[in-house]
Amino acid sequence: MFPMINIGPLSIQAAGFILIASLFIGLWTTTYFSKNLGTNGNLIENSILLGLIAGLITARVGFILQNPSALAGNLLAMFSLTPSMLNPSFGIFVGSLTAFIFAQKKHLPLWPSLDTLTPLFIFLFAGKHLSNFAIGNGYGLPTEFPWGIQLWNETRHPVNLYALILVAIYLLWMIIHTKVFKTTGFLRSGTLLNLSLGVVGLITLLTRAFVAEKSLIGRFDIWQLLGFTLLMLGIALIYKKRYQVHKHIPVFISVGSNHNHERNLTEAIKKLKDFSKLRGISHTYKSKDVQKESDPTFFYNKVIEIDTSLSYNELRSRLKSIEVDLGREPGNKVQVPIDLDILTYDNDAFFNQGKQIPDPNLIKYNYIAIPLKELAPDFRHPASGISIEDIIDQLTDNQKIQILKEVENGFEA
Amino acid sequence: MSKKIFTIIVVSVVLLSLSWIIVTPTLFPIVQAKTDTAAVHKGFQAPDFTLQTPDGQSISLSDYEGRPVLVFLWASWCSICKRTMPGLQSIYEEFAPEGFELLAINTSFQDSLTNAISYFESQGYTYTMLLDQDGSLSRDYQLHAVPLSVLVGPEGEVIDVIIGSGMSEAYLRAKLTDIYGERD
Repeated sequence: MFPMINIGPLSIQAAGFILIASLFIGLWTTTYFSKNLGTNGNLIENSILLGLIAGLITARVGFILQNPSALAGNLLAMFSLTPSMLNPSFGIFVGSLTAFIFAQKKHLPLWPSLDTLTPLFIFLFAGKHLSNFAIGNGYGLPTEFPWGIQLWNETRHPVNLYALILVAIYLLWMIIHTKVFKTTGFLRSGTLLNLSLGVVGLITLLTRAFVAEKSLIGRFDIWQLLGFTLLMLGIALIYKKRYQVHKHIPVFISVGSNHNHERNLTEAIKKLKDFSKLRGISHTYKSKDVQKESDPTFFYNKVIEIDTSLSYNELRSRLKSIEVDLGREPGNKVQVPIDLDILTYDNDAFFNQGKQIPDPNLIKYNYIAIPLKELAPDFRHPASGISIEDIIDQLTDNQKIQILKEVENGFEA
Repeated sequence: MSKKIFTIIVVSVVLLSLSWIIVTPTLFPIVQAKTDTAAVHKGFQAPDFTLQTPDGQSISLSDYEGRPVLVFLWASWCSICKRTMPGLQSIYEEFAPEGFELLAINTSFQDSLTNAISYFESQGYTYTMLLDQDGSLSRDYQLHAVPLSVLVGPEGEVIDVIIGSGMSEAYLRAKLTDIYGERD
């Protein structure tokens, strides 16, 4: 037990300090993660901040509504800074709801944003257990095991330490799996968060068994049952995304050619139709080669939208083989008969074999963004939620790229 | 991961979790130790003590059985304590007729006794001042910082432990209203 942390002459309440510290570390990691995933870090941070403010206010309002007598002496007590006059569950509920509604209004994509929040979620879970350990809350049953700790006049199970060890193991796995928060490490967005929900549920239902003070429903501890619900929810959500057969996954593909483009573009699209349903196809846009500005050759680009049931990896290897069929030589950047790039795959954000989806070029180059806007004027970036109009406004390479010319009837005469 | 391996892992995890939840009440029965264990934590029995007032009168916590008591540990050099105590006085005046008692225990072992007594008297507080001269009560109550407020219920059980400024007039009024029920 260490309810106070003494730093020189400064005495700080450990519980509050640990919670604020874990919030801070979690937010910091989330911001870093967000940069790497391409999600909208600023908006996510703003939602959390808004949620925190709304949560704090409603936690106080909730307490006052439950205990109206608190204000009997002095109405200004409403604004006093005492942390004891809070109703945490009410605050957490309203705070999360506020953050969620704000995020929806700002078109933040649900699953990629939630993946980004996973480190924050895990750090707060660990922080809550550490702060409980500091002040002796959620104490364990008496035990004779040698690792029991002296607490409240008994040798007890260090329940919060059990949970901390388990969550530390999971966090370590997560750090390795995400390559230190570079990627979620999964192909479908939301998997990281759903897995974490399941793990937190599992840790809760395992460790709650050793807790002395239980809130029972019938014979069972309500927290164990909640943990089990969380575990089932996590599993169900992972299964739904990963293993359920999805027939119509929307995919945007950028098609480009700088050699015999008329034939190659037509051929490539024909081959795509063999295994997918074509939903839309843009005009052809002509641009100078991005790689070599001095080079007089031109690139001809289209963006197409398909419906597919293939997984990302299957689709990617199909596209590779189309490129090879049409005579693409790996490494030859001068003559490119056909170039097929997956721009977006469903609404997922991930890294796979050195490729980032959504393709970062989507927010860099005119030759992708402009045909994409023609094809899907309501398009929003699956990771950041930014509209295609804003993407085009924010393109940074306007100087490098010559004006793109839309060619009538698809091909230049 | 193939669907088959995923299913196998999921089914085993779910089954093990379910069995764990089912055996929990048998393996780890709830021990109702709270009522006979003394500890300064919500739900436990508040440790009893006997201290003296500045006039030398002996007072024990157990003297107030059947009545709620606020045990408030303070020092005259502690500014948060001195900001809290006037609010406690108004609550004391409001609830003393119903039996509420407030024991303001000066942590005399780490305070100047003259300062403490002259402060307490100059403010005209009417609740009971006690002296912890040798620090034994502060040890029993695991004092880490002043002010430390321990609200003890009529049965002698700890209702709340608050370190620092959290024990405000408004909060204490809310807690006592809970104990005594809504009054007109």
